[in-house]
Amino acid sequence: MEIIIAIFIAFVLSWVNFVFIDIWMGLPESPGVKGAGAIGKSIEKRGGDLGGGYFSGNIVCSPDASAGTLLASCSYYAFGSPEGGLIAALFVYFGNRICADPGYAGTTGALTATVLIWATSYIGITPYNFIVGMVIAALTIQGLYHPVTSKLIGKMARKMNRKVIQE
Amino acid sequence: MITTANVLSYLIAMASAVILGIILRLPLLPDKPMRESWTISVIFPTIIIAIGLFAIINYFKIYNNIYTALLIGIFSAIFSKYLLERAFPKPDLG
Repeated sequence: MEIIIAIFIAFVLSWVNFVFIDIWMGLPESPGVKGAGAIGKSIEKRGGDLGGGYFSGNIVCSPDASAGTLLASCSYYAFGSPEGGLIAALFVYFGNRICADPGYAGTTGALTATVLIWATSYIGITPYNFIVGMVIAALTIQGLYHPVTSKLIGKMARKMNRKVIQE
Repeated sequence: MITTANVLSYLIAMASAVILGIILRLPLLPDKPMRESWTISVIFPTIIIAIGLFAIINYFKIYNNIYTALLIGIFSAIFSKYLLERAFPKPDLG
């Protein structure tokens, strides 16, 4: 498969995987640690959405589904088989516990990413396409323009019934 | 590599972790709402630990047979019940 198309498909799958799992696991509802709360309030002050801000803050402060997806891709690539993804899920869980997070989002993200990488390997998308795709996916949320991306995340969170519960 | 033959080993690792976890009186599921629960249960994280550890053993081909899978499952349940809270304690959220 043409590498640009493969990276684009990997980007879309990674984006959907991490955004939906992180919202489903309630990242926009409340900050897990004080740092995440400070990031959320700072994004709100700059014209963004508080829920979307907490989402960004929580992603920065502990390995959630975004890190789970990226680490599963890296580990799948390094080990050359789906075992890499399973090992990544275990270490993401331990990393979550160290970062004051119960670990559901990160571990689920790593496992679903492993399944996605394994399934798409049959149509010629490789784990390193997923590494690049996930870096671009994280960039679209965390690196471009927080007010717009946080509003998008906030809107999706309200649709998925994950409103801000702790101001 | 994960093959059809060792999928059975993964299932044995998971099953032994679940059975011993229930015998050790670990809760089957985390408390509700699950996404905020710190309860160590059979489904999460005992199964994750079992398949993660067995993946390491299986990849490096260190005794990758069904008896190892059984032992990994037993170790995962004991680790979850007695050692996980000590190794990675729940933070003081107050």
